[in-house]
Amino acid sequence: MSFFGFDTTLPRDQGHSSNAPGFGHHDAFASLGGGAADDAAIDFEETYDGLGDQLDETDDAFNDDTFGSVPATQQTIGRDFDFAGQTSMISNTLQEEQMVYQARHPASQQQRPPIPHASKPTRTGYENYHDPDYIPQLEARADIWGLKPKQPSATRQPEPQQQGPALSRKMMSLEEVEAMMRQHPVQATPPPVPQHVAPSQPPMPSHYPQPIPHAQPSFPGMPGFPGQFQPQILQRPQQQQHHAGPSGPRQQQVHAELPGQPVHPQPPQQPQQPQQPTILQRQRQPNELAAQQQRPAQPQSQTQPQRPPSQPRHILQNPNRLSGHGQPVAHSGHAGARGPQQGHNRGPSFPGMVITHPEQLMALSQEERDAYIEAEAKRAKRNHKISLLAKDNGLMTPQDKNFITRIQLQQLVSATGNVDERGPEAAIAEDFYYHVMSQIRGGARQNPHQPANQFAQTYLFQTNSRFGPRRNGRNGDNHMQRMEQQVQRAVEAAKAKPKGKQLVIEGSLGKIAFSNAKTPRPLLNIKRPETGDKHPKNHKSSVAHRKQTLRNIEAIYMTLMRIEDVDRAVPPPIREDSSPEAIQAHMEWRSKIEALRKELWVNLKIMEPINPQSPTPHPFISILSHAKGKKAIQRIFPHIDEQERITVVTMIVVHLDQLSVVSHGTATPEEPLSPAMREEIDLFLGTVIPPLFAHVSESPLNIIIGLLGLILDRTNMHVVARSKVGMSLLTILISRAELLKQSAPEATTDWEQWADLYNRLFDAVEPVLPFVFPGTINDTEDMYIWQFLAAMGVGASPEQQQRLVIGVKDRVMETVTVSKALPADMAGARLANVNLFMRAIGLDVELLG
Amino acid sequence: MIIAYSFFKTLVDSEITVELKNEVCIRGTLKSVDQYLNIKLDNAEATDELKWPHLCSTKDMFIRGSVVRYVHLPSGAVDTALLEDATRREAESAKNKAK
Repeated sequence: MSFFGFDTTLPRDQGHSSNAPGFGHHDAFASLGGGAADDAAIDFEETYDGLGDQLDETDDAFNDDTFGSVPATQQTIGRDFDFAGQTSMISNTLQEEQMVYQARHPASQQQRPPIPHASKPTRTGYENYHDPDYIPQLEARADIWGLKPKQPSATRQPEPQQQGPALSRKMMSLEEVEAMMRQHPVQATPPPVPQHVAPSQPPMPSHYPQPIPHAQPSFPGMPGFPGQFQPQILQRPQQQQHHAGPSGPRQQQVHAELPGQPVHPQPPQQPQQPQQPTILQRQRQPNELAAQQQRPAQPQSQTQPQRPPSQPRHILQNPNRLSGHGQPVAHSGHAGARGPQQGHNRGPSFPGMVITHPEQLMALSQEERDAYIEAEAKRAKRNHKISLLAKDNGLMTPQDKNFITRIQLQQLVSATGNVDERGPEAAIAEDFYYHVMSQIRGGARQNPHQPANQFAQTYLFQTNSRFGPRRNGRNGDNHMQRMEQQVQRAVEAAKAKPKGKQLVIEGSLGKIAFSNAKTPRPLLNIKRPETGDKHPKNHKSSVAHRKQTLRNIEAIYMTLMRIEDVDRAVPPPIREDSSPEAIQAHMEWRSKIEALRKELWVNLKIMEPINPQSPTPHPFISILSHAKGKKAIQRIFPHIDEQERITVVTMIVVHLDQLSVVSHGTATPEEPLSPAMREEIDLFLGTVIPPLFAHVSESPLNIIIGLLGLILDRTNMHVVARSKVGMSLLTILISRAELLKQSAPEATTDWEQWADLYNRLFDAVEPVLPFVFPGTINDTEDMYIWQFLAAMGVGASPEQQQRLVIGVKDRVMETVTVSKALPADMAGARLANVNLFMRAIGLDVELLG
Repeated sequence: MIIAYSFFKTLVDSEITVELKNEVCIRGTLKSVDQYLNIKLDNAEATDELKWPHLCSTKDMFIRGSVVRYVHLPSGAVDTALLEDATRREAESAKNKAK
């Protein structure tokens, strides 16, 4: 429709557009103006604005030219042309092509629109005219341009178009028009487009009457032509037509084809007819608005017989592109003047000047031309966008939109959880995971009142599972590092004292042989307890017991979370000048948290009486056999007092060999640990040991003595010493005692007690020494053993040190040998571990090298 | 609020693989999720493009929650301890509501 060749489609489109509100063109404009107003409550307007921002506002002025005033344009457009809407599909591509063409041939820009016509015009254009229906359309278009008065320019009346045509018919017959044109041709003699210009005029006549007025003022050269012509062609075109009337309009198109021919006079008229329609169509698209505006002015042009310079003709040709500019011309009189601005609200798209005539363009400087082309390109782009957007306009009724809006609001409310109304706590309760996670990650804090730190503490530092096993491993390392540091400190401190080093150095390696005699005995001892302990436990835990344990754990967690909730709500600390309310609040908070802590302590089941005869392990120990039970320990510790912590540590120590991680945690090179058990042990080391370690490393000697005594009295040392967990715990205790001894060396009864305990421990451990290494020599995870050995060595007497060395001599030598074959860094790590022990007893691996 | 919704919100901008009930597997960046667990994916691609070539050209997807069978998550982006607690809280609140 939109373009010259597609006349047949026009009628349908027009009908649709005028009648149906849903059409694309309407919508496009609606969105811009009236439509938007209707939807004010709806989001769409916003959406549109955003898009509008992306568009070039500078070119807005031309929009008016193109589309006319918003409300009016919709209707008018619908009737007259479908560029924005129905044609949008085609027009888009056409526009694009135009743009491309323009870009490639700046000088001939105006011609582009014609291009499609150029090929067709000769054929189709005429055909259209022959068709009776077709003429009416033209007339309708004339209305757009010149007949505005009939239709309310802004109003959306389908009729005006029809009326226009009718009028135009009445006004002039083709013959009449031709006659007029003949009169004028001389004047017109438009140099630019002699060839086809003439043909275009003929069609005009029917419409001219109204449009002419506009054109006339603008184009003095048009005198001969009846005003009717001009209006029909498009006001802009009118100018051209008037002058060039016959020849001018097609100039552009023709130019390409027949540049040199002076067709202006007569023959052109007929051919022009087809062209004109096409021109009109194009113009309408862009000029719709302009047309409306111009309409009022048209009468004037009619009356004024002006002989347009050659330019006017060009204008006609150009209208498609320049339509916006061209129209204004009519008002101003010259092509150069901007007619559109008057009627348009928006500023001119092309600041320089309105170009209606191709020659004008030629006359412009390169810069101006570029600017103009650019402006045109922007405008076309924008029109394209609008048409795209407008395609679906009007599909939803305001009710629909309101409905959607309500749904969205509802979702919004439920999504944010009415945070403001219910307070941060409620929000956290509703959306716990998200809130805590986003806070931990340091994301934007949705609620400034929320205490991110506590969450972070709880979930970053008190639980180790945050990043899965990786994290556990790291924490384990962390813990091992600290333990290593403690051992090392003990070693350093011990070395500071001149303590029988020489003896050790001399004897250590030399006495190996005779010490070996002792090794057989431990072998026998070890195997027995191992086999005896390993299996019974699993069977003990019945299903009921397991369920009860899980329930206990859940109770602990629930209490923990309540405590943490209350903790977050801690009122400001009381000061002397605190108001009674604040004090009251604080007291209430205190009592609340006290109650919860008590509840937690009860839920821990740690105070259940120990019953050695019971077939099931102690409830607290059972809790530790589950992963989540282990994880709970870390979170529990901050919420229990010192005495309770000691109780927990004691409980664990007493039942050390009953812990599954200990009783099942012994391995031999032939029978390595299962992956599941490995994982469990790592988890235990990562979650339970650290709080124990932290606690023990602050405990006084009497506590250490008590704990070590319990281990020696109540547990199977063979199992404990061969498990990673047990050995780690022993290391912690021994190294702590060693540090205490060096920092507070004054001899007390405690130290005698400690020495006794140490000797007992040494005796108990010594037989196990050859078996403490769970893996083969290639197993690199033996650092904790060297740490233990180092801790033992520091406190050992020279004689004990010799026995130590004898016990692990083979391992030392093997490790040194193996590390020679390893890459430097790995070897260094392994030797460093060994050295930890060697230096504790005053040796160094270097001596073995 | 559904815990799953709360959970998936934290995965926005991470890469997930959505397995649909029709066996189609789509990997993409989670852009948003709503309470129906409808999923919006960016940079989406079928995990087996030979099997579902018709998805090759689709880069952004909106997946209706009801057609999702599994969502494969990046384990690093999941805090299991926190998730456990969130589950406990939800269970607790559900229990309270039932009363």
